[in-house]
Amino acid sequence: MSDKREGFLLTSSPHQFSPASTPQIMYTVVLTLLPAMIMSVLFFGASVLLLYVLGVGAAMATEAVFKLVRKQSWRSSLDGSAVITGLLLVMSLPPNVSPLLVVLGSVVAIFVGKEVFGGLGANVFNPALVGRAFLAAAYPVPMTTWMAPHAVFGFLAGADATSGATPLSSAKFEHTFESVGRLFFGQTGGSIGETCALFIMIGGLVLIALRISRWRIVASYLGTVFVFGGIFWLINPQIYPSPIFDLFAGGLMLGAFYMATDMVTTPYSHLGGFIFGVGAGILVVVIRLFGGFPEGVMYSILLMNSITPLLNRSINNRVFGAKPSRTEGAKS
Amino acid sequence: MSLATFRKGIHPSYHKDLSAAKAVESLPVPEIVEIPLLQHLGVPARMLKAKGETVVPGELIAEASGMISANIHSSVHGEIKRIVQRPLPGGRLCDYVEIAVDREKTDAHRWERKELDLSTLDRDSVNRRIRDAGIVGMGGATFPTNVKLTPPPGAEIDTLVVNGAECEPYLTCDHRLMVENARGILDGIRIIQQVLGFKSIIFGIENNKPDAIAAVRSALDAYKDLPLSVVQLAVKYPQGGEKMLIYAVTGRVVPAGSLPLDVGVVVSNVQTLNAIGEAFYYDKPLVERILTVSGDGVTEARNLRVLVGTPIKHVVEYCGGYADSTDKILFGGPMMGIAVPTLDYSVMKGTSGLLFLSSREVPEESPCLHCARCVDACPMNLMPLKLAAYAKAKMFAEAKALNVNDCFECGACAYSCPAKIRLVSWIRYAKNYIRVKKI
Repeated sequence: MSDKREGFLLTSSPHQFSPASTPQIMYTVVLTLLPAMIMSVLFFGASVLLLYVLGVGAAMATEAVFKLVRKQSWRSSLDGSAVITGLLLVMSLPPNVSPLLVVLGSVVAIFVGKEVFGGLGANVFNPALVGRAFLAAAYPVPMTTWMAPHAVFGFLAGADATSGATPLSSAKFEHTFESVGRLFFGQTGGSIGETCALFIMIGGLVLIALRISRWRIVASYLGTVFVFGGIFWLINPQIYPSPIFDLFAGGLMLGAFYMATDMVTTPYSHLGGFIFGVGAGILVVVIRLFGGFPEGVMYSILLMNSITPLLNRSINNRVFGAKPSRTEGAKS
Repeated sequence: MSLATFRKGIHPSYHKDLSAAKAVESLPVPEIVEIPLLQHLGVPARMLKAKGETVVPGELIAEASGMISANIHSSVHGEIKRIVQRPLPGGRLCDYVEIAVDREKTDAHRWERKELDLSTLDRDSVNRRIRDAGIVGMGGATFPTNVKLTPPPGAEIDTLVVNGAECEPYLTCDHRLMVENARGILDGIRIIQQVLGFKSIIFGIENNKPDAIAAVRSALDAYKDLPLSVVQLAVKYPQGGEKMLIYAVTGRVVPAGSLPLDVGVVVSNVQTLNAIGEAFYYDKPLVERILTVSGDGVTEARNLRVLVGTPIKHVVEYCGGYADSTDKILFGGPMMGIAVPTLDYSVMKGTSGLLFLSSREVPEESPCLHCARCVDACPMNLMPLKLAAYAKAKMFAEAKALNVNDCFECGACAYSCPAKIRLVSWIRYAKNYIRVKKI
């Protein structure tokens, strides 16, 4: 102890902080994506590994360049948010997509989806979905060319599917419905990381348990798809898929657990989250059953992203003690 | 059994094991004391003595000047050397009375317990004595206690809530007082019960202090006349916040912008009650208190009985000094405490702790993710992320409409924020702006 030391830190309270940090949250999300990513490699081959590397690398590089141009520290590109954007973009693309499109999609995702708004926290739309929407609009053919997965789960009847169509397009255009078991385990055609509902759910539930994801959005989103889709199935099961099929087909699980739960672009109030989930759920069913595309998850989330600022702004908590009340008896 | 608590809040690491088991020691009398004339909420006390005068322990040296003010007494035997202007923790300038201490005479002074006939007490005499003794809230808010105990005409107070929550991390002084001298607290309770006649007295203690709960319960045998129940509180911050505590133990909700009086409750910290007891049974004004010296920077964490005005340098020297790695010195706990830049400060009536913290880098702020952990933490159910955004944008009317003035700056939001945004600082900025500009 020096006798007369000056200049201790003068900061205002609080002086103690939780260990939580932005990178910690982001890399936890990345870790929970690993099971579904491993499955995607088993289904579609080692080549998707290259796509993951390219997608993540391009996303981080784009962010770093953008930060440098704006004379900010490039280090924030390491905070993990660009990693998630890159991973989710790749997971939402067809397995045999060209590496060039992956890079292009990642650049657009970060540039148009995030940085032009002011970077992390300021973007309105889910960056990965912005990238995907761009690719879907600019390169419609490669974005709808599918391959059948390798047989990983041998116990499923006809595991070595040869059809290149996705279950959703078969359902929409041919009214033939893939078995729920194959959807659940991901033994179907589809986007790289979207097919295996089981492993996406495992990761997503971990995030909910860690309170990184908001369960209300997931529950209201999936619940609305189930109920609203179920109504049509009850009306005509020949044309419309069952609500269970609705849940496990396409990108709904990835969208519900990993995109509709993006903190930045979805409402943070309980009511707002509920509205978001119900709205997105209705949009998915409407687009899938009546729209021009077999899949509606991407647009459902992007459209609901657009009203998120409004929901955040207009929904307020009631301060403790807002309405005078006096109830007797101890509360627990 | 289920524990009483409030909604939301946080679970910081408490670090109380550094000092919780250490019995209170009396700090040796220092060579000088520097007693500030503003140790309470309100107006500084008016100086009554001059340079060169000799004072004795408990002698009034400055008197309350105004409704919200408090008397200041000498804590020592000695000679007034000078009156100097120095900053208080937080920066406000204040007159300090510097007294050269006669350590022998101060050491020799004893506060004798005397017989007290409770039946002679009435509301006025109790209030006057509490005011005369310079007693203020010792939990940290330092509001003059006599004012708090004077309900406005028509207000009906039926409940006393005794605050033994001590929810701030590191602090264990209230804990030790409850363990070692529960009777002192109960003496104080008995005095105000005598004149205010509460229908119920609820003694709330956080469940991480089982020895304090047991000590208070066993001391109760001698106080069977009191309508007192001990309630175990969940360990959660800010459990000791006045409105949180009232809700936890009575279920009553203090309306936003109102005081506990409006729901018929008075809340008092355990050390304050102990001081009231001492004022009556020992004729002892508020001239010393128990505080916790702790933190990873201090050589030995301790709970100390310290004379008001003791230089904190003297306090930390008794604790073996502090490590060179110490970055921050705090008055109070880490959640609501005030950092000071040097050791040139003294122990005051409201100083519940002195913390020496090392390696506390100031975390860099990053963009808000809208994770809403601050919303989940806020015991007042505010939306700190919105308040901070409005403050940054200078949209003060919007912040006010979202009840920014109901924030009592507990720090739970800023604690929880993964982006390390200084939510409390932004909220303070908005509150100050609103107050000064009368928005």
